[in-house]
Amino acid sequence: MTDSSSIPADTRPQTRDLRTPVSILLFLLALCSPLFLGTYAVHALVIAMIFLLPAHGLNLLVGYTGMLSLAQAAFFGIGAYCAALMATHFDTSFPVNLLAAVVLAMAVAVPLGIPALQLRATSFVMCTLGFVIITQAIAKNWISVTRGDMGLSGLPKPTFSLGGLSWTASTAQQSYYVALGLAALATFVFWLIVRSPAGRNLIAIRENETLAESLGVPTWRYRLAAFVLAAGFAGAGGALYAHYISVASPLMFQTLYTTTMLIIVLGGGSGSISGVVIGSILFVALSEGLRIAPELRMIAYGACLLLLVFRFPQGFAPYLSKLWDRIGGQTRKEGSA
Amino acid sequence: MMTIFLEQILNGISTGAVYAIVAVGMTMIFGVLRAINFAHGEYYMLGTFGGWFVISTIGLPYPAAVIVGVVVTMAIAYVIGRFVMQRMIGMPEEGSVVATLGIALILQNTVILVFGGGYKFFSAGYIEPVFFGDIGIAQQRLLIIALCIAVFVGLELLVTYSRMGKAMRAVSQNVEACAVVGIDVRTVVLSTFVLGTGLAAFSGILTAPVNVSVYGGMGEIITFKTLPIIVMGGLGNVRGTLVAAMILGIAESFVAGNFGLQYRDSVGFVTLILMLLWRPHGLFSARARF
Amino acid sequence: MTVKTERAILRAGTLALFSVLALPNLVKAQDIVVGLVSPNSGANARYGAFAQRGAAMAAEEINVGGGIDGRMIKIIPADSICTPVEGVSATQRLISQDEVDFIIGDICSSVTLAMQPLVEDAGKLLVNAASSNPEITYKAGVGGYQHSFRNYPTDEIRAKAVAEYAVEKGYSKFAVLSVDSDYGRGAITYTRKYLDELGAEFVSEDYYKEGEVDFRSVLTKIRNSEADSIMVYGLADTTPIIARQMIETGLAGKLPLLGNGEFSAEATIQAAPKAMEGAIEAAAWLPGYDSEGSMAFVADYKAKYDGEEPNNHAYGHWETMHMLAEAVDAADSTDAEAVIAALQGIQFASPMGTITFDDHHQAIRPLLMLEIREGEPVITGSVAGEVTYSEQ
Repeated sequence: MTDSSSIPADTRPQTRDLRTPVSILLFLLALCSPLFLGTYAVHALVIAMIFLLPAHGLNLLVGYTGMLSLAQAAFFGIGAYCAALMATHFDTSFPVNLLAAVVLAMAVAVPLGIPALQLRATSFVMCTLGFVIITQAIAKNWISVTRGDMGLSGLPKPTFSLGGLSWTASTAQQSYYVALGLAALATFVFWLIVRSPAGRNLIAIRENETLAESLGVPTWRYRLAAFVLAAGFAGAGGALYAHYISVASPLMFQTLYTTTMLIIVLGGGSGSISGVVIGSILFVALSEGLRIAPELRMIAYGACLLLLVFRFPQGFAPYLSKLWDRIGGQTRKEGSA
Repeated sequence: MMTIFLEQILNGISTGAVYAIVAVGMTMIFGVLRAINFAHGEYYMLGTFGGWFVISTIGLPYPAAVIVGVVVTMAIAYVIGRFVMQRMIGMPEEGSVVATLGIALILQNTVILVFGGGYKFFSAGYIEPVFFGDIGIAQQRLLIIALCIAVFVGLELLVTYSRMGKAMRAVSQNVEACAVVGIDVRTVVLSTFVLGTGLAAFSGILTAPVNVSVYGGMGEIITFKTLPIIVMGGLGNVRGTLVAAMILGIAESFVAGNFGLQYRDSVGFVTLILMLLWRPHGLFSARARF
Repeated sequence: MTVKTERAILRAGTLALFSVLALPNLVKAQDIVVGLVSPNSGANARYGAFAQRGAAMAAEEINVGGGIDGRMIKIIPADSICTPVEGVSATQRLISQDEVDFIIGDICSSVTLAMQPLVEDAGKLLVNAASSNPEITYKAGVGGYQHSFRNYPTDEIRAKAVAEYAVEKGYSKFAVLSVDSDYGRGAITYTRKYLDELGAEFVSEDYYKEGEVDFRSVLTKIRNSEADSIMVYGLADTTPIIARQMIETGLAGKLPLLGNGEFSAEATIQAAPKAMEGAIEAAAWLPGYDSEGSMAFVADYKAKYDGEEPNNHAYGHWETMHMLAEAVDAADSTDAEAVIAALQGIQFASPMGTITFDDHHQAIRPLLMLEIREGEPVITGSVAGEVTYSEQ
């Protein structure tokens, strides 16, 4: 990608800054893609955006606070069950269910987070994994509410109604726009969080917790807030999932879902917003692309995980920011070799 | 009433012995590598498959199959250790989680690809029960309990007296200092990994006669059983693991016997969370090491 | 590796991935393409593998016999890992990339439930051969999804038949030990409906996790309870484990097993003959069933797959594939609506008896009652499997 005719790095004149037009182009591309992509590709992108939501939450924990939590899958499941129960029992519309899922996931996260955040490193990881196992046991055994293993099925597609008007996202293309809107909103909220002073404090905690504490940052409160916010993102993802896939069942607590979220964050690059967005698309491209060889699919998938960890330990975020800089007309010393 | 109580304890111990042999390998690997091996159950599965394969194809007797299963697994583990585990030294947690999950996927699905996905019957071993009064138990289970004790005595001797064992302890306490005094951390990691996975394979093939069903995905359930045990035992603590495994085995036995089998898999993690609240550093350690 | 080569690899890899995404499987235009969704990786691959093999064998038999009016059947397998989201993605790919004519799948009920609306919207045809959640056909046919069929008995028929038979044999205090899934839980829920009527009761209720191997504690509890029989709706590969541990805990020969879980498979009986004696099972198919078609199926399957004994999923998918082929032949078209009409009116002569579909697209098929006597499964009767649809 190196332009051999580029001007030496030290003079570095601000050539054309193409970032704004490229952003607009990307945005238009995202808006129009259902027009030229097949149903299958559109569906794959919806899945990418569904998993982007809990991945944002995980990124807040891993990338900004330095805590590895596996509990995102539990909150994702809680969100899905909440939306499913609301839809089946009260016939409420999608926005209401979505909001309820976010609120419930955050409410559950508080009592879980308070004890769990006393723990460090591996103990914390194990504790959060425990939440997933226990949530699954509850989903299986609280039959009067969750219907146990029978699951809740036949959930309606997302419907929006305003006054007398109502619109249902029944096709994959329509669901795409719902997911896109929600993903964009979540990304914007995430951006607000990490750009706020609170976000900078989180980074300070990740870099050096003791130092942050000595500077007067109430670290414990910040970590709890991050844990709860992350749960909220996961809850939103769960609600969207339930309405799109139309089934909520205890199978949602399988390791696969946890692995998916981890891969999106690590693959994209933890601590980077655009990295995680790209990560979710790359993940879906990988997992769906590998369907071409069903017998080898999961083996190849495993190999890709190893490649990711050892070849690209920072994920794809560094490549992305380099590209972005170049679009912005800045060249860096590195890369012209 | 007393007999039932005793029998449930015995049931717990026989389960705990299996957990202990698998978990001790995992905790030792954690000790030197500071990484949770999410693929640990797959080595349990590999050992079982190795044993099943030589029994069903060339009709090897069971004791020989045990050895073949363990040796084959250790050979595979050696390769994985060289190319993957050694590179995980000093890696952040999330990296090692994803890497070992990747290995788990590769091992599991390679076995499915090679041997077919369907379940197989394991039909060797000593499954005839012996009775003590009313309480019956398969000979194989008594063998497992005896071998579990032997494994732990052996490991105690190994880490206390042998050069390698001392190096393992040293690495699990302070990696940097080891490098300074000239202990080859990479070799220690590799040999601990091969030993730990060998123990998982040993446990797998020992339990195969009573567990009967052999299939590619059988390791996952074992990994998840092992996780709370190693944390409860104090990560990297060999003796603690034995106690924690027995506690979990007996607790599960009482829950299954009094509440219902469906609550059994939550026992480990509920106990774990309760214990972490009460003693965040494991049952036997005064301060947190990891 | 230099930065440059690394980048080249990266770019090439990404490009390859995206191009593979858009690549359908290679099929000949005149082929009849059937997508087969089943778990092929992870722990549930142990059932998915049987489904694949059974269906593949049926397709081969049809193709060797000249196909359907000269058109060959081609199966495109797709992996669901027994996870709804993966199952939906796999189905979506089959529909819009591979453009399959029909879909058979899945084993796990939650996945099947998630596939139903998708297939309905796409106007394809889904035939299920292994999920037992009653909801699937409550919502099919006149219940809503015109494009879903199920060729598998629901839990309700089976539960009622077993409970009635057991009470007739003098058992009335059941200790439940079923698998913790919609199948195991569902069968027990339906049994409970008939308990009062039959004068029977549940002494205890336990559900085991898929892949569970340790039953000693719960069997000890059952031995010390009032139970006179153990009601098992379980998984094929778990039954021998339970049976062996019944011998260990001194239950063998005292409490018989009732329910379903391949009690009659040769390997199961061999694993613990003493514990399996007197076991009562209601099954849609069993490997030892003495009919020409069934025996031939078992022999061919064993010959084809290195002596592996087929299980009910292998048989179910084999039979369903043949049935679908007959429906396509009768419809003389691969058009979904035409084949749906053909299936609605089909009188399929299976090795187990005639199969028809009710207005909920649920198969009405005979269910065999059998008992293990002196180490041999003996068929003691047959129940017509008709569902009465009521408010759930």
